[in-house]
Amino acid sequence: MSEQALVQIKNLSKTIGSKRIIKNLDLDLYKGQITGFLGPNGAGKTTTIRMMVGLMKPSEGDVLIDGKSVKHSFEESIEKVGVIVENPEMYKYMSGYKNLLHFSRMHKGISKKRIDEVVHQVGMKNRINEKVGSYSLGMRQRLGLAQALLHDPKFLILDEPTNGLDPAGIREFRLYLQKIARENGVAVFVSSHLLSEIELLCDRIAVIQNGELIDIKNVKELQQSRFLFKVEPLAEAEEILSGIGFPVSRFEDGLLVETEAQHIPGAVKILVNANISIFAVQPFKATLEDQFLEMTGGGDIAQAHTK
Amino acid sequence: MLKLIQNEWMKLWSRKSSWIMVILLAVILFGTAGITKWVNTAMPIENPESWQEVETNELAYNMSMLENTELSDAQREYYEGEVAISEHRLENDLPPYEYDSMQQGVIESHIMMSIVTLFTVIIAGGIVASEFSQGTIKMLLTRPVKRWKILTSKYITTMLYAILLAIVLFIVTALAGLIFFGIGDGTFLTWNGSEVVEGSFWLEGLKMLALSFASVWIIGTFAFMLGTVFRSSSLAIGLSIFLMFTGIQAVFLLADYEIVKYYLFTHTDLTQYYTGFIPVEDITMTMSVIVLIVYFIIFMAISYLTFGKRDVTA
Ligand SMILES: Nc1ncnc2c1ncn2[C@@H]1O[C@H](COP(=O)(O)OP(=O)(O)OP(=O)(O)O)[C@@H](O)[C@H]1O
Ligand SMILES: [Mg+2]
Repeated sequence: MSEQALVQIKNLSKTIGSKRIIKNLDLDLYKGQITGFLGPNGAGKTTTIRMMVGLMKPSEGDVLIDGKSVKHSFEESIEKVGVIVENPEMYKYMSGYKNLLHFSRMHKGISKKRIDEVVHQVGMKNRINEKVGSYSLGMRQRLGLAQALLHDPKFLILDEPTNGLDPAGIREFRLYLQKIARENGVAVFVSSHLLSEIELLCDRIAVIQNGELIDIKNVKELQQSRFLFKVEPLAEAEEILSGIGFPVSRFEDGLLVETEAQHIPGAVKILVNANISIFAVQPFKATLEDQFLEMTGGGDIAQAHTK
Repeated sequence: MLKLIQNEWMKLWSRKSSWIMVILLAVILFGTAGITKWVNTAMPIENPESWQEVETNELAYNMSMLENTELSDAQREYYEGEVAISEHRLENDLPPYEYDSMQQGVIESHIMMSIVTLFTVIIAGGIVASEFSQGTIKMLLTRPVKRWKILTSKYITTMLYAILLAIVLFIVTALAGLIFFGIGDGTFLTWNGSEVVEGSFWLEGLKMLALSFASVWIIGTFAFMLGTVFRSSSLAIGLSIFLMFTGIQAVFLLADYEIVKYYLFTHTDLTQYYTGFIPVEDITMTMSVIVLIVYFIIFMAISYLTFGKRDVTA
């Protein structure tokens, strides 16, 4: 993207004791774009987010939000950010409304009308005057989202926001984020474990492992078309298809061919002519989950790296 | 800043414990007054001494104290004043307040100040620590407000609560005195250094209250620092209360050493300069005020430094 990045994470590093938790992270985030932040447990997602909002001091590097450094001009930079770090913790002994009133007083110029508007947006109108202590997890998530949106932020950071939401809630939430990204040009940064969720929600995915950014991909790229051929004999068919220039790989008991749909009839004809038995040809859509596991190498929790 | 204090004030009163402490304070004061009244009526003193007899005895005692050559200046001045007042009363037939009267109660309201200190410590130790234990600190610190401002608003709120408690103490003492004992007869006299003059019991009560507030202030600040540094309200409150009780005892243990002059608890009770009970020699009001301010600056510096620098992982 040629446009100037709204958020620039520059050479961000964090060392606690002798442990390097985040290693020279560089990442740009753009207006109107939803970026997923994906990584196995303990990869450093929450730590990165904490440094982005000034809860932790980076050992090295800095974060610029709309050109303002979080390190050096905290108030000006954080003004534009709405954030939920892990679970949104609220004052349980106060009502949802009083909680929002409390946070609204810490920003400039938030009217009572704006609070009501946000309460409406997150669908909490009926319960907003009850004590937060009586809320369910999903209701607390909604209230958390409300406090993050209160000041109309240009940049929204969400650490596992769908945790605890019901399917209807997740869908609503997804559509809402996509709407504010598209219509208000908000840059959104979402960390999540729900890979299928990220796939539906995000335009771009940044993958982190052991504190290092290992990949940034556009979701469209990940979803390029592939077809699965169930044929026999396998080896012969593979030879023929790769012989005529198709990228072929084996997958389970079939062949995976990377190509566009229009080339399929031709490929089938050639295979039939070569006396190959065709049992099935189907579009193959590897889920992001498979690719994620491929990239990060299995389901193990990130090991503690020492210097 | 006003909005931040408003926030803290709202949170403070949203918790039941803040209300309970105010109510408890009132109940204790009414209770003690009621019990005193009950004891007095159930067991009246037989053949009570007249005020002249009491005053004559006190005069004799104070005169004998003046013969002690090792008295400090402050103590000497105190006894001279007491002697002058007693002589003045006897000569002009001016009785003091009855012991159980509202007026005497108001003058002595500060003796219950330790309850205010106790309740203030509970708020001071918890106001920062509870944000960490509830996890709300991360919601609070990701706003366009610098950390020192948030800490300041919390400190001011704590002190406002302490002042409120002191005012409740004063008003409830007066009310309870009025209800149980009546205003009472007598005149209040003070020694202004050269002559005996009539004074207002309201002003005297307020002056003593203000002086004893110094200990609420400094011990509250200490608890505030502990809560900020250790992020545990129980530790902050427990340790502060423990020190509050043992700290004053230690003054007597240390009394013979030079170091006692720089020890916090030698100076926490500023009313000592008006009650004549000064356990340490050669200290003055000015010196006490300076020592208290130095401790205050140290406590605050530690609080601001740790709160401002800390990595928040709650
Ligand atoms: N205060 C700390 N002291 C030492 N190590 C820490 C500290 N905080 C986090 N870590 C380590 O940093 C690493 C990254 O933690 P982080 O919470 O950022 O992971 P995460 O990607 O958010 O994981 P999850 O998906 O489980 O939420 C972990 O290995 C963790 O043990
Ligand atoms: Mg995390």
